[in-house]
Amino acid sequence: MTDLDRRRFLTAAALGGATIVGASALGALDADAAFATTRSTLDPAIPSSVFAEGRIGAMDSGLLHVAGSWGETHHVQLTNATSVWKLRPTSWTEIEVGDGMYGRGVRMPDGTIAADAVWINIVNLECTLQGIDRDRIEVAHDQHRVVGRLVPGTTLASYGGGPLTADLSRLRIGQAVRMLGAWRPADDSVDVARLTVGV
Amino acid sequence: MACGSTYLWRGKCTWFCCGGGWGPCGSTGTGACGTCQSSQYKGAWPNASQACWDITRPDLCGENMPRRGCGSVMRIRHQCTNATVCITIADCGPRTKSFCGAKSCCNGVCRTNHIVDLTPAAFSVIGNLSSGHVPVWIYE
Repeated sequence: MTDLDRRRFLTAAALGGATIVGASALGALDADAAFATTRSTLDPAIPSSVFAEGRIGAMDSGLLHVAGSWGETHHVQLTNATSVWKLRPTSWTEIEVGDGMYGRGVRMPDGTIAADAVWINIVNLECTLQGIDRDRIEVAHDQHRVVGRLVPGTTLASYGGGPLTADLSRLRIGQAVRMLGAWRPADDSVDVARLTVGV
Repeated sequence: MACGSTYLWRGKCTWFCCGGGWGPCGSTGTGACGTCQSSQYKGAWPNASQACWDITRPDLCGENMPRRGCGSVMRIRHQCTNATVCITIADCGPRTKSFCGAKSCCNGVCRTNHIVDLTPAAFSVIGNLSSGHVPVWIYE
């Protein structure tokens, strides 16, 4: 798939439904075929996209075996067109067994979900800043302590509705923050992508 | 309850996890209504009850949205792509007062103040989770 095809596909996916049309038009024979082309029209007879959530228990040729947090099981097929995020846009080679995930895609006849996007370990926490160090912060989320790791070249902050900046010197203990980042299963901390700082 | 087309509010929409899950979400409960779950199309509204309002205080940011309690249905539309999702209110939030002036923009038009939170399942229908927020219009 060329970059142009990928952009067209992702644009269609963001509008919702277009990916499903593609899958149906191709007979939904397999996940790769489902995302091989894009269509601009929507067919209301075709069901909407589906969502998967859980921990990755195994991986096999781009097929994720996911244990949902409420007892369900998902089989999520990654394709050349699947958008993968893990702290930053990346490829599936960064995905590991034990990671948490959210995925959006289309249900194939065999029950597999062909994913157009997966977000690995992503969290977006409303919390209060409790500690600031050179390379980490501590926050309270739902009365639990969470360590946020500041990642040079990646962690950005927005203060009071302003633009994103790499300047973290305006962080203050007691501030309300939205912390978007990637949870690290190994130590339960979070690599911080972005801090939205309140007033 | 129907997912309608009567304008209700507009502003910045964010996402949150609830009902358990992996990582820091594992400690989250099922929300103020007892029905919130990340994998379902649910949302949080700052005026879900008087007790909720007392916590979120959107009026301190100039937002005096009406009360819509547990089980209320809303249609959330992305301001620019027009992608929509229907949600059921299942929690109290976001804490609007803590983020007065926070903006979300597309095509040069911004919406201000956190006025609704969606579960990951719902948010992923209208936006990219890694963006963290989108500008929305809300209908009922």
